[in-house]
Amino acid sequence: MAGFLEQIEPLKEAALAEMSAATDLAALEQARVGYLGVHGKFTALMKQLGALSKDEKPAAGKAMNTAKTQLEAALTERRAELERQAALPKVPTDFTLPGRRRSLGKLHPLTQVTEDIVRSFRKIGFAVADGPEVEDDYHCFDALNTPADHPARDTQDTFYLAATGIAQGASPAPILLRTHTSSVQIRVMERQRPPVRIIVPGRVYRRDNADATHNPTFQQVEGLYVDRKVTVSDLKGTVEFVFQELMGSETRIRFRPHYFSYTEPSFEIDFSSPLTRKMGKEWLEIAGCGMVHPQVFENVGYDPEEWSGWAFGFGIERIAMIRYSINDIRLFYENDVRFLRQF
Amino acid sequence: MKVTLNWLKQYVDYDGSAEELAERLTMLGIEVEGMQKLGGDFPGIVVAQVVSCNQHPNADKLSVCRVSDGRSERQIVCGAHNFKVGDKVPLILPGHSLPAAAGQAPMTIKVGKIRGVESHGMMCSPQELGLGDLVEGLLILREDAQVGQPFSQYLGRATGDVVYDLEITPNRPDLNSVVGIAREISAVSGNALRLPTVTLPPTNAGGPAVSALVTVRLDDAELCPRYTARVVSGVKIGPSPDWLRATLEKVGVRSINNVVDVTNYVMLEIGQPPHAFDLHLLEKDASSGLRTVVVRRANAGEKFRTLDGQERTLTGEMLLIADPAKAIALAGVMGGQNTEINDTTSEVLIESACFKPQNIRATSKKLELRTESSYRFERGSDIGICDWASQRAAQLIIETAGGMLAEGVVDAYPKVAEPRQIALRPQKVNELLGLELGPAEIEGYLGQLGLKTVGRKPRPVDAPHGAAEPSSFRIPSFRVDLKREVDLIEEVARLYGVDKIPATPPRGAVGSHPSDSVHDELAEARRILAGLGLFEAQGQTLISQAAATLLNEAPVPLANPLSNDMNVLRPSLLPGLLDALRHNVSRKNCDVALFELGRVFLSQPAPATAPVEERRLALALTGQSHPLFWTGPERDARFDVFDLKGLLEEFFDQFGLRGLTYTRRPESTALFLESASIHLGEFQLGHFGQVLPQLTKQYDLRDAVLMAELNFELLLTRRNTAKTFRSLPALPPIRRDLALVVPEDMAHEKVVQTIKQTKTANLESVELFDVFRGQNVSPGQKSMAYALTYRAPERTLTDAEVNTAHQKLIEQLKQRLQATVRE
Repeated sequence: MAGFLEQIEPLKEAALAEMSAATDLAALEQARVGYLGVHGKFTALMKQLGALSKDEKPAAGKAMNTAKTQLEAALTERRAELERQAALPKVPTDFTLPGRRRSLGKLHPLTQVTEDIVRSFRKIGFAVADGPEVEDDYHCFDALNTPADHPARDTQDTFYLAATGIAQGASPAPILLRTHTSSVQIRVMERQRPPVRIIVPGRVYRRDNADATHNPTFQQVEGLYVDRKVTVSDLKGTVEFVFQELMGSETRIRFRPHYFSYTEPSFEIDFSSPLTRKMGKEWLEIAGCGMVHPQVFENVGYDPEEWSGWAFGFGIERIAMIRYSINDIRLFYENDVRFLRQF
Repeated sequence: MKVTLNWLKQYVDYDGSAEELAERLTMLGIEVEGMQKLGGDFPGIVVAQVVSCNQHPNADKLSVCRVSDGRSERQIVCGAHNFKVGDKVPLILPGHSLPAAAGQAPMTIKVGKIRGVESHGMMCSPQELGLGDLVEGLLILREDAQVGQPFSQYLGRATGDVVYDLEITPNRPDLNSVVGIAREISAVSGNALRLPTVTLPPTNAGGPAVSALVTVRLDDAELCPRYTARVVSGVKIGPSPDWLRATLEKVGVRSINNVVDVTNYVMLEIGQPPHAFDLHLLEKDASSGLRTVVVRRANAGEKFRTLDGQERTLTGEMLLIADPAKAIALAGVMGGQNTEINDTTSEVLIESACFKPQNIRATSKKLELRTESSYRFERGSDIGICDWASQRAAQLIIETAGGMLAEGVVDAYPKVAEPRQIALRPQKVNELLGLELGPAEIEGYLGQLGLKTVGRKPRPVDAPHGAAEPSSFRIPSFRVDLKREVDLIEEVARLYGVDKIPATPPRGAVGSHPSDSVHDELAEARRILAGLGLFEAQGQTLISQAAATLLNEAPVPLANPLSNDMNVLRPSLLPGLLDALRHNVSRKNCDVALFELGRVFLSQPAPATAPVEERRLALALTGQSHPLFWTGPERDARFDVFDLKGLLEEFFDQFGLRGLTYTRRPESTALFLESASIHLGEFQLGHFGQVLPQLTKQYDLRDAVLMAELNFELLLTRRNTAKTFRSLPALPPIRRDLALVVPEDMAHEKVVQTIKQTKTANLESVELFDVFRGQNVSPGQKSMAYALTYRAPERTLTDAEVNTAHQKLIEQLKQRLQATVRE
């Protein structure tokens, strides 16, 4: 049996060659059975080991085991490769094809701006308050120190509800759609002792025909802060903080003296930022504000000697229009999905 | 750190209860982490002797003993085995109570039968007596105990004691001592602090002064700014007296011998850890002929065997106490074996020194060797107290171990520390604390802590009107934490009482308003809906009378409308959404999914003067239900009523609404072709369905339009947002499918209800996965296929038992639903 050792290597090489030549799993299995199966050639050689002499056996056995280990390793490797090939799609995937999308909806841009405003105010301790859109003229005008002959109370500017269909007979007070969120100031102060720190986002109504800059309904945010020793300087600091939060840290603000019946002194607020300069303007009017008028405090039962405060308000559409360079307010209420998708 | 109440009371009176003291300490910033009451006078507990011990006739683990209590013999049933006849043990007599653990009712011992044998009392374990040691079995007393002696007398204790376990913050090393804690109690109670009176015992008149016995060479004064040495000669090493041993053991320090115990006692008492060397084991210096203490850094790689028997390899950063020949202690951390106090020690060298905290910490960390001593030095010890601590140790060594003190002290203290002074402005105190304290009050508080006023600074010219002048305070050397003005303000706050500082609401605040949380709920709903793929719309609140009539509701008209397009307030969100769909489809945006969350206005019958405003949520869908894709069966699918219902169901789930029911409305409405109302219990929440085709045509819409509208106010009141984790099922489920052939008018909900009514065991869930008509199903019938999941919470179900339960369920369904089952 001197030739036994010499037989191992050629047989192994032949088996390896057959395995690597197999192009599918069936061919590979056939090769395995042919060599390592019960009746395989390699198995047959293995069986001859027993016939060897005691001296030859250890070397031959070791050589056989080494060869068998190699064959099994080669088999495993080839099988993995063929399985991988079999799993590949017939045609390579075109990864540039569009995917199967799960689409997410979007929040309305006015909602997004409102949320940003609310978030900035909440950072400095304000709570969101709310009130009715259908108001009486006391809360919308009288309590806010807007005299009965004030032009704002003209039906030209204010929507009133038809008395019919609401209440028959004597109507105690005209019912109207609030022209500003300031009416909520009164409703909150009527119910709550100072200090007060609220912010009121909500819809308001003005009797304007719709055009690129007007819509009969639009949205405002009102801020009211009442405490001891509240100053104009607090108002400026807060306004500056909020607008920098909303419009970026480069935003500057400017107060100009103005008139509102429910604040004294009153101011209009201009702001300046890279956005305004892009629009070709250094300063852009953005909001109105002032120190709460003592008469307003008296109307709600606050002692103006003890308490002071400020209020300010601005239009949400206006902020959104400046921020996103939107040129027509009507776009907000058309709900065109191509518009909504952009924010 | 542990201290006992009795120990504290040696230095300061405290009249309140132990619990009150714990509360006071905690409020002072010294948190009491544990409080253990040690048994007091142990009423009814006596020293007894076991006379005989026999097996209990009815219980293997019990024995029946005869025990002498000094007056008579008693029969006691006992469960312990660690004693033998003749042993002396504590015995509690019937009618008396064991010391109670904190917060528990005491246990009273009665004469009673244990497994049929009477027992007249109980022999006690240390735990039962509140003595803490964890010993298995009875407490075996010393042989010299007198039988019949009250147990408290045996312990040498007149009264009970309380051990406090205190958390000392790292900034207050001075509190790592009983005196330190007593000083705080004194400050807060106003009772005087009684420092231990150190009266140096007579010295060995005529004998050598300390300077003739030992010298100190300070090689590294940065790491050791002060080193004092005293010598006591002729001591006799032996066990400590009872008072010393008991004091140490109560706070968890093992008694070793009288001299070592004194050094530990002084460390615990005043916070300065002295160390005692056997003076004879120190080498003499060749030139002076005196035993010499050398304070030096170790050589890199130098080996040193500490007291615990460990050989340690040192670095050049570590500070050693040495003699001319060898290291004798790892400075501030642990002494060396080579010079430790032993039975033959007769001359004791008392070290009391101050080491640089950072260096001790580094050494201790590097060697992983933390000791009571290193703990105190690394937090900063009081350099001013070294000599006093040394005197105290000498006094106590002589009291407990005899001997004579050598005259004088060696005090290597090259750079005497100047007491710090800190200026404090009273108005600053008030500004920071929000109080209105006067300068005298502030000085009073600080004075209680030992901070003496050293004069007022001249008032600055620009001081604000009314501001009190700043005072300057001298800081005692033990208060290493007081560094600047604000540290003093903290002290004022602690002594004034942090809990007495008034709470003022957030300045200028605060906006509380009921709408604040509603705003968040609205935002949450919007986020969920956008996440479901819907775009948010915001419509006009003013609409036309004609559009409003689609809802069959009388709208609220304006008195002065601008036009007929906007002459009423919207009574519903749906007309506005229909407008939005028309706007989109006319611009070829044919696939639209919108929601709106907004107010509607509902007219009220007289005498109401104003309409009611109500928040609603509406959904509108039309066109393709899936984003554009280039293959697959769903690419052309259009929205249908189940797309809408799926959105609603997911929204309800996410928003915390459960138990909604859907009821088909029998007739078409002015808006809907086919629709269902949604109920939550008795409340109608809204409705949803498919819009009438003639209406969609009128709005120029091509595909089916699905809409829903819900009363959002109602929905908000019905939310349940509580979330409780249910543990994940650990065992595998078994699934069985069930295909029922039922009449066409059989509602899914009815099938599910019927299945649930069978109360089939271990049935976890029922899910519909197929509805099928035709082929093998006769006309007027439909096949509904359900997946039933079975699972038991605590065991794995077998196929056989599930099959049995499932089969039984099928039989019941056949009967109750007149269903046939497709096998």
